[in-house]
Amino acid sequence: MSIARLKNRLIARLITRFPRLAERFVAAYRPWESEGEIPWVRPTKSLRQAKLALVTTSGIHHMDQQPFDMQDSDGDPSYRELDGGTLFADFRITHDYYDHGDARKDPNIIFPLDRVQELVDEGVIGGLAETHYSFMGHIDGRHIATLVERTANEVAARLKRDKVDVVLLTPA
Amino acid sequence: MGLIQREIERRGIATIGVSIVREYTEKVRPPRTVFLRWPFGHPLGEPGNREQQRAVLYEAFRTLYQTELPGTIVDLPFRWRREQYRDYCPPENSELE
Repeated sequence: MSIARLKNRLIARLITRFPRLAERFVAAYRPWESEGEIPWVRPTKSLRQAKLALVTTSGIHHMDQQPFDMQDSDGDPSYRELDGGTLFADFRITHDYYDHGDARKDPNIIFPLDRVQELVDEGVIGGLAETHYSFMGHIDGRHIATLVERTANEVAARLKRDKVDVVLLTPA
Repeated sequence: MGLIQREIERRGIATIGVSIVREYTEKVRPPRTVFLRWPFGHPLGEPGNREQQRAVLYEAFRTLYQTELPGTIVDLPFRWRREQYRDYCPPENSELE
């Protein structure tokens, strides 16, 4: 592994462990600022009738999928399709910018698949989509446009095609 | 994450995001968000804490159905490692429609 990646992982471990350092890290980074109107729709169905999909930027994916590109300091704007039925049997996390020790022990803390399945079984949620989506967070520079105009858009279209009613998004 | 959320909502699907960095969320302005001042890598809480994870989910869904103002960020009252979730009261069905 490259020195740059080792350094990123060390920083990730420190800012996960020591929130004070995280605050400085957050203050130093200037995120994209959105302008204009905020997109807005009301849910069309009650939760007990709705089909839910999960989308995460935690970098979780299936073992046999290509890992996210960690060499590019602007991140990787691509996404992975996740099969809710099999993901937790065989997953990995590719994301050098947070410490995933706890998430490896219990991936529900970044991607609450077991919890939403329980809520479906209890009748609180209508159902789950078969396919969910994973991105890697920490997208910057030239990749922001790719994310917004291409990959996020593609995922939105796929969710629409799958007749998903509500989406829950989790970061890491 | 907020940028992706905005694109999904733009397509006509209602979304709710969990945030652990309020400063970023304020700038990106996704439709609606629940915020927790918790460490990176732990948006739903601690490994194995099922009651905690369920409480965050319930509050996220309550926010999804009850919020009327675009860009709302709801600060959830759960403090890191200081809450007992056994007494948590989930929303009524009528709040989730």
